[in-house]
Amino acid sequence: MALLRLLAECESYGYELVGRLHELGLKQIHEGSVYPALSRLEREGSVTARLVSSNSGPARKYYRPSPAGYASLAECEVAWTTLVRALEPILSRPVPRRPQEART
Amino acid sequence: MNQSRVGGGDRLRIELAILRIDWELDGRIPWRVRRRLKNELRSNLIAAAESNGAMAAVSQLGDLRALGASYLEVYRGRLDARRGAWAALITYVAVQALAIAVFLAFQSGIAAGGGHGGSYELLPGFGPFQGSVNHGFEMEILSPAHLVLMLVAFLIGSRAWRALPRGIRRGGGSAAGTDWRPGP
Repeated sequence: MALLRLLAECESYGYELVGRLHELGLKQIHEGSVYPALSRLEREGSVTARLVSSNSGPARKYYRPSPAGYASLAECEVAWTTLVRALEPILSRPVPRRPQEART
Repeated sequence: MNQSRVGGGDRLRIELAILRIDWELDGRIPWRVRRRLKNELRSNLIAAAESNGAMAAVSQLGDLRALGASYLEVYRGRLDARRGAWAALITYVAVQALAIAVFLAFQSGIAAGGGHGGSYELLPGFGPFQGSVNHGFEMEILSPAHLVLMLVAFLIGSRAWRALPRGIRRGGGSAAGTDWRPGP
């Protein structure tokens, strides 16, 4: 979902996308997980790709969401928002020092 | 002309990493897809190497074998030619080992019986298990029977039936449907 969202904001190639994730604080996400994820999105038809020649080597493959990708992104965002809303009341409560004894 | 700030040593490091990943994909996904993936990996690694150096760029990929396996999950075709080739090779070695055992047994029998030579044919018409001992010795190294056995092993090992259109596999109906779909 994060990849689709970032690609919806600005088309990117693999390494650039990893850099954008790192800038957002997701430094634990490495190239080795992002590149296959992009391939999977492409194969699913969620993104389209185009080659753009680079002055430092082979052409770079820039991805952007396809119409199906936008639809999938909208669904994911609704599901995520619903989940966060459902969890929020639980996570907002203070954690007690000890769990309450079970009532028998 | 393209100009890169990545030096020869760094290029070599990048190519070795690509080779390692490609090894996982060899014979398992269509070569066009492999070539596309390698080009994409190369361009990403060069971009990363320009920022952080090739060593960091490669290490950021993590376990190269795992990365290859991840690509394999995405693009794996129905036919696994590598497994098929291994199955064919193992079959050949096994058949030859058996053939040599049969040959040695026959030779010992000739010697024990005080004979000077003879020929044998354990399974009539089956090349690997026939030969002769005279002044020298003869045994089949490659025969049509070898080839048929290796072909069968290849077909079983590579799960070649999975490459057939679904309709044919089910004995009729729709011929549509393959696992492999090229990306857009």
